[in-house]
Amino acid sequence: MRVLVVEDDADMAESVRASLIADDHEVEVANDGEAGQAMALTGGFDVIVLDRMLPKKLGVAIVRDLREHGVSTPVLILSALHDEDHRVEGLNAGANDYLGKPFSTRELLARVRALWHGRNRDVQTRLQVGDLEMDLLGRTVKRGGKKLDLQPREFRLLEYLMRNAGQTVTRKMLLENVWDYHFDPQTNVIDVHISRLRSKIDRDFAQSLLHTVRGSGYRLEA
Amino acid sequence: MRADLTLLRTTTFRLALAQAGLVLSLVLALLGYVYFATVGQLAADSDALADQEFLSLERAYAEGGIRRLNQEIVERAARPGPFLYVLAESDGAVLAGDFQQLPALPRQDWERISFDFDRPVDADGAGKGRARGRVGRLLNGPILLVARDLGDTAIISGRITRVLWTVGVMGLLIALATGLVGAWIASRRVEALTNTTHDVMAGDMKRRAPVRGEGDEFDELAIALNEMLDRLERLMQVSRTAGDAIAHDLRSPLTRFRQKLENALEAPPDSIRDREALRKALDEADGLLAMFAAILKLARVEANANWRFESVDVSGFLRELVEFYAPAAEDEGRTLQGEIGDDLVVRGEAGLLTQAVSNLIENALKYTPVGGHVEVRAQRRPDGRVEVCVSDDGPGIDPADRDRAMERFVRLESARSTPGAGLGLSLVAAVARLHQGGLHLRDGLAVGDRHGLGAALVLPAEMSAETREARR
Repeated sequence: MRVLVVEDDADMAESVRASLIADDHEVEVANDGEAGQAMALTGGFDVIVLDRMLPKKLGVAIVRDLREHGVSTPVLILSALHDEDHRVEGLNAGANDYLGKPFSTRELLARVRALWHGRNRDVQTRLQVGDLEMDLLGRTVKRGGKKLDLQPREFRLLEYLMRNAGQTVTRKMLLENVWDYHFDPQTNVIDVHISRLRSKIDRDFAQSLLHTVRGSGYRLEA
Repeated sequence: MRADLTLLRTTTFRLALAQAGLVLSLVLALLGYVYFATVGQLAADSDALADQEFLSLERAYAEGGIRRLNQEIVERAARPGPFLYVLAESDGAVLAGDFQQLPALPRQDWERISFDFDRPVDADGAGKGRARGRVGRLLNGPILLVARDLGDTAIISGRITRVLWTVGVMGLLIALATGLVGAWIASRRVEALTNTTHDVMAGDMKRRAPVRGEGDEFDELAIALNEMLDRLERLMQVSRTAGDAIAHDLRSPLTRFRQKLENALEAPPDSIRDREALRKALDEADGLLAMFAAILKLARVEANANWRFESVDVSGFLRELVEFYAPAAEDEGRTLQGEIGDDLVVRGEAGLLTQAVSNLIENALKYTPVGGHVEVRAQRRPDGRVEVCVSDDGPGIDPADRDRAMERFVRLESARSTPGAGLGLSLVAAVARLHQGGLHLRDGLAVGDRHGLGAALVLPAEMSAETREARR
């Protein structure tokens, strides 16, 4: 996919560009806010990675303008300011995700893919991955026609994994999207939740759906 | 001397002075009013009567000439009554009347006069008298004087005047005196506060303003000043030690980081071992970054920088946290249980409060041996505040070390073997302070000879709109 990176720090821009290219994306880089906005308006990108503190025009203002011009390209804001207020401000302006600096490359790649994957996320009432089915209205989950009994939080966890089926989701993404927590637990809490979910959806079936991606996170895939 | 001069410059004294001036002008106005209402009225009455008498005598003179007038005067003067008469020739020689000679004559022909006279010894109230009346030159020159002995009315008027002056002067003195006393009292209270600030500025950070316990505005000011000084002192201590502590605590992980890279470089190339070294270096870097993030977060919480407070459903987020941590705790052979009261609501920043309690839970899980128990209890205290207590049955902290444990970068000897930057509890304490609450360490769940540790986060309950209104 085509990714626009708007970042004024040359080293950071190059590092992000290299990682995205290594992850099979096509990348263009803008070095300031105005150039970035001009490219975003005309370029036909799949995802925009936007630094928050940019010369000439701030990231949040760019997102707001893009949304006003009807550009719905998913935007990921990168920022050294990642307190709750700033995050909410960025998301309210129309950004789709917000990642604090410093971040790991894997985290960035996972989020870029998740954004692109979820760009056309419409109002779905059913999700399906292989023989795993989720009915969002009836709040029921079946695998191979057999009903699975999930706790409410497990349901949300599985729903997020299914919406991002085929994509790697990081622990941080799960923390933010399933629990709405914005701090790093120092223990392996997420792993334990995943293993409990896995025991419910995978244990009695020959094919495993929920995979661990070493060093990154998890992926639900048939 | 200096004290006296400063007293005269105080606001209270100036107010007292202005008040004294106001009292004085009010008294003067009152005096004027009373004077004209009493003395003035009496004078006007007697003038009217004297005029009447004068006119009737003038008529007698017009009808019967000087002889008739003379006779009238002799008759009237002999009659008892308040009037005094004098008839004199045009050169002032007295022809008849009550006096042997005329009082000093006015220049004009018709004039009101008032004069003092010696009352005859046989009359009532012998001695000095005061009279008021009319004197005039009649046709062809004779001078006629008709006056009324003011008698008692003059005495009453004099008394009224004296009373009014006395009241005025006394009022002025009282206003000045109360002003001085008030100024003295107020200036002494202010001086105590001023001295405190001077002492603090001179470096005595322990100095506090005296609070009299009278609950007046000076006490309120002193309490506010003392709170400000407490906060200032804490911030000064923190900034004094933080720099050292940061440098000290960052040195070991940075040294390890450098060591790992250096060792990898020194050793002969070996892709598997090199990758392992890189992975470890990355872990160290992540640890350092996490520590920086914690320091920055702590700094932001302590700086009190415009956090947006809203209603936080404490019961809700605590249940979610327990549900979040319980499976991991269970997998490691510990139990995590919640006993959380319903409808606990505080005003605060939900993210920070969640993180604070999660720090407490993680701490408890970290220091509790396998097989141990951690309990999260939340309830409304009798004083209305909300208490969230995370207790464990681990080794606990010696009571003497508990205060120190909440300072930033302090890691007690017992904690040296576990990972962490020593910022967890200080962040919780800072979050508590930000919410005008507190963090208290005490015994936790006792098992055998272990006392465990209980970390209680106490938060002020959200004030309802009515309470807030009533506080105003």
